[in-house]
Amino acid sequence: MADDKKINIVLAGQGNAGKSVVFNYLTGLHQHIGNWAGKTIEKKEGTLYYKGYTIDILDLPGIYSLNTYSEEEVVSREYIVRQKPEFVINIIDAVNLERNLIFTLQLLELECPVILVLNMMDLARKKGMSIDAGKLGYLLNTPVVPTVALRGTGITTIIDRVIELKDKKKRYHPPEYGKEIEKCISVLSEKLKDSRLPYPPRWMSIKLLEKDKDIVKLVKDYSRDIITEAEELGSDLEGIHGHDSSIVISDERSHLAAQITRAVVEISPRQKLTLNERLDFITTHKFLGYLLMTVILGGMFLTVFGFGNWLSARFDTLFGTWHEWWNSAFGASFASSLGWAAVESILALVQIAFPYILPFYVLLYILEDWGYMARISFLMDSLMHKMGIHGKGCISFIIGLGCNVPGCLSCRIMESRRERFITAVLVTLVPCSAVSVIVFGLVGKYVGILWALGLYLFAMIIIFLAGRLSSKFMKGEPVELIMHMPDYKTPHFKTIVSQTWEAIKEFIYIAAPIVIIAGVLIQAINLAGWMPVISDVLSPVTVNWLGLPAVTGILLIFGILRKELILVMLAAYLGTTSFGDVLTARQMITLAVVSMFYIPCVATISVLWKDYGWKRALAICISEIMFAILLAGFVSRLLSFVIL
Amino acid sequence: MDDNKDLKSLTEIRDGQLAVIVSVTGGKALTKRLADLGLRSGIMVRVLRSSLFSGPVQIELCGSRLVLGWGLASKIMVKER
Repeated sequence: MADDKKINIVLAGQGNAGKSVVFNYLTGLHQHIGNWAGKTIEKKEGTLYYKGYTIDILDLPGIYSLNTYSEEEVVSREYIVRQKPEFVINIIDAVNLERNLIFTLQLLELECPVILVLNMMDLARKKGMSIDAGKLGYLLNTPVVPTVALRGTGITTIIDRVIELKDKKKRYHPPEYGKEIEKCISVLSEKLKDSRLPYPPRWMSIKLLEKDKDIVKLVKDYSRDIITEAEELGSDLEGIHGHDSSIVISDERSHLAAQITRAVVEISPRQKLTLNERLDFITTHKFLGYLLMTVILGGMFLTVFGFGNWLSARFDTLFGTWHEWWNSAFGASFASSLGWAAVESILALVQIAFPYILPFYVLLYILEDWGYMARISFLMDSLMHKMGIHGKGCISFIIGLGCNVPGCLSCRIMESRRERFITAVLVTLVPCSAVSVIVFGLVGKYVGILWALGLYLFAMIIIFLAGRLSSKFMKGEPVELIMHMPDYKTPHFKTIVSQTWEAIKEFIYIAAPIVIIAGVLIQAINLAGWMPVISDVLSPVTVNWLGLPAVTGILLIFGILRKELILVMLAAYLGTTSFGDVLTARQMITLAVVSMFYIPCVATISVLWKDYGWKRALAICISEIMFAILLAGFVSRLLSFVIL
Repeated sequence: MDDNKDLKSLTEIRDGQLAVIVSVTGGKALTKRLADLGLRSGIMVRVLRSSLFSGPVQIELCGSRLVLGWGLASKIMVKER
């Protein structure tokens, strides 16, 4: 492959600027999502084949600055400096130009080749903003491409510019700050010129004045004199400006960003409240906001379960006669029983789990695209704070209600490791749709819907208490919520479809193999006659402490693979789905409680293992098993005093 | 200084009010973090919404909207306009 036809670019920008839309548009199906080595940050890479060129694109995480506040920021700046991509495509939200420019200025300080993408031009126009892209490019000395990423407008122009500018060795002059600051910078740069450290001297000088811990340490190892000089210059700046030198630098950037914005943006005055403002008035209202949220989320769950029940019943009638057909086609032997077990497992998954997950994801992504998720974070932050995390954690919980796997994965949006971990642990306690199948299919159907809802309430209380406990256990200060509140926008059909499709695909890839294996295994154990043995071994716990039938032991073991298997296998083992004939109400509730809390499913465990290490994952599993069994035993005894 | 009498924290400002940031109580790291977002002394912000139960505060800054947790907002000292 001719090297001159290969280009390496990187997408950088703040969250909410439309970076992912651009990335998906450019790379489509040629995407690979992995992890940055040793970190819990997603690494999104893809390839674009365009006009004979092969363009490798790396999508950096959405970040607000290039300091050391979060791992994402460190990973991003290290990548840009060390890997030296040919272009850094900075995607900017035109509506929030000033704020985004502060980041752009930091990017330009890194002296990498930047192409500015001015996205969401349509929204800017709707707000009455008119932006002179040419002037912006001139002031920043970088090419600017206006785009409307959601409509695909202008995205190929970005790549055209990349191709056009490739190999044109342009000298990138970063914009200049105030005179006194530039003087300090040049003094330090001169001294760092021959250091052969991997970063541009000017950038390092700025970082020294900003008292960036990593850079100070790096330069100190090279020469202590420079550090002393930097400190002196810093105090000089402090004397002039009255602020710590690090603040002075931030101020300069904000100042310059404001100046540039004023020069290129013209706003025509708006007369009345926009729809967005009116919507926000209600959705973040002190009382109405919470009421509305309950209505929206309640409606969401009613829709999910209503649709789920309907679709589930349709599959039930469809698959009803398949077992007989199978037996008549293949006879009844050991092998054909195993074969049927495999098929039945898939059918169970399709009939029991899928009908709920599909509508859940569709509604989730509609709400997210619309912008409502940020409002939920806003409304729930103070409650989450009492649990040791902040508002964004609530979103992970909501996702966890669908499936704990993406719920735990979504914890990566939290800034500190402590919060990521606490949120992930709490997510494993959230009843996922598999658990909901048990709650509704067993308790809801045979004991009463109020009991089923009561179990959810119970789960919420447990999660709250667990959160409070863990925030006392884990050292460290909770990080405060700092979040950009996006404007509401009409949900984009294609985005929702593709996100739902990705989520369903992930679910199938993770769940299907496990379910097939589990089904075949349990049938094999059954046919080999080992069931009684295993049941006996576990019976002190299952029968004596929990008051459940002996077969529960095996069910719970297989529930580790996929929680709905508890119900599915019970039906398979009993040969009937009329659970009411086999379990008492008290037993059903006890079984539901154990299922809810006892251990995350194997897919979730693998995420916990990957993100937090095997020791922590193991600790979570063991403590949750013990907790669930103890709790369920007490619940069972308590219930015997009530009415059951 | 007389001025200090009028200092309030961001959480004490009513919805819809304008305020000018004076200072940030708390470590240098916090001040710097806020400064990086454009929240520095001398800047005018409009409080859009506060919430119940010591919840976050929504402010308007440089034309865009930012949400700050209550603990954070209570450390930002402002003068009402």
